[in-house]
Amino acid sequence: MTRHVAGRLYALSLALVVFFLTWAVVAARPWSSSATPRDPRLDALARREVKLRRRAVAVHAVVTRRWAAYHRALAARRAEIAAVRALPAPAPVAPSAAVRVVTLPPLTITRTS
Amino acid sequence: MTLRRRFLAMGTTIELLVDAERADRPLAAAEGEFHRLERVLTRFRDDSELSRLNHDGAIDAGPDLVRVIALALDARDRTDGRFDPTVHDALLAAGYDRTFAELTDGDLGEPRPGGGGVHLDGSRIVLDEGVRVDLGGIGKGYAAERAAEILAVAGPALVNAGGDIAVRGGAWPIGVEDVTLELSSGGLATSGRDRRRWSRGGREQHHLIDPRTGAPARTELLRVTVVADDAVEAEVQAKNVFLGGRPEGCAYVLAVSA
Repeated sequence: MTRHVAGRLYALSLALVVFFLTWAVVAARPWSSSATPRDPRLDALARREVKLRRRAVAVHAVVTRRWAAYHRALAARRAEIAAVRALPAPAPVAPSAAVRVVTLPPLTITRTS
Repeated sequence: MTLRRRFLAMGTTIELLVDAERADRPLAAAEGEFHRLERVLTRFRDDSELSRLNHDGAIDAGPDLVRVIALALDARDRTDGRFDPTVHDALLAAGYDRTFAELTDGDLGEPRPGGGGVHLDGSRIVLDEGVRVDLGGIGKGYAAERAAEILAVAGPALVNAGGDIAVRGGAWPIGVEDVTLELSSGGLATSGRDRRRWSRGGREQHHLIDPRTGAPARTELLRVTVVADDAVEAEVQAKNVFLGGRPEGCAYVLAVSA
């Protein structure tokens, strides 16, 4: 009689242990991936950052190239100005007034203004 | 056919001559230009732009005043100060404090040498403390040139602004002393001490101020007539020669001693 009860208790305990072990295994969901899926918006932002960094590098290259071209042109212009300034002053321009003494009666007269 | 119009402006008689069959509108426009420029350049009207500059010491000016001031400052540099627009107070001290027709006798002020600071920055004109500007002679030359430009639309033209003459085309006989000059381009001006004379403090005064002394010029010369590229330059060179300067770029110079 006592051995019969002890056997039942043993079987019940074993059944409980098996039940909880099974529960733990199912709760752990071993069939799903362990990594958390990434937010797609973060992926888009990362892609945009990379793209912008590439564009910044390209723009910087263009600005550097244009700045160098501007400095070359400036140096050339300064050299031209210096060359012109080094030239002797031009001869005075002859007056463009056309005048001659005549014996006609005057149409008008000049006097102290 | 030579058409002629006479009127009073800038304190003198203006004469417009144009060789054309009809020129009513150009003649009217040229006369209007004189009156317009008088409102800008005269020191005898309180509401002129020049008077506002002299009163306030600094203004944002219109293109005509800026241009004439620039021409006057350039002339001052080129004539070593013999031509100087800052003799305004010297003229007043000598008694030329109102239009010539209104002058009366009175006390003589202290001489006021020229050379005052006038600063141009775009349309901004700034005078140094105590500096005032007179554009009498050069203003008439400038106005004569502007009016001649307008009249030339109708035909060969001559503008005589009380002795400052601008010519555009044609062949114009002009009486100078006892000779006649035929001018077909350029400008002519006469400066002297034979007219615009008055008495102050018992001494005879005249309007040609020597900027170096700030008083009416003392010279053996009575009158100088100059033909140059335009009326403005002729006016500048006539004063320059009258005050002992060497003529620069003149086509003809006639100096008469007293």
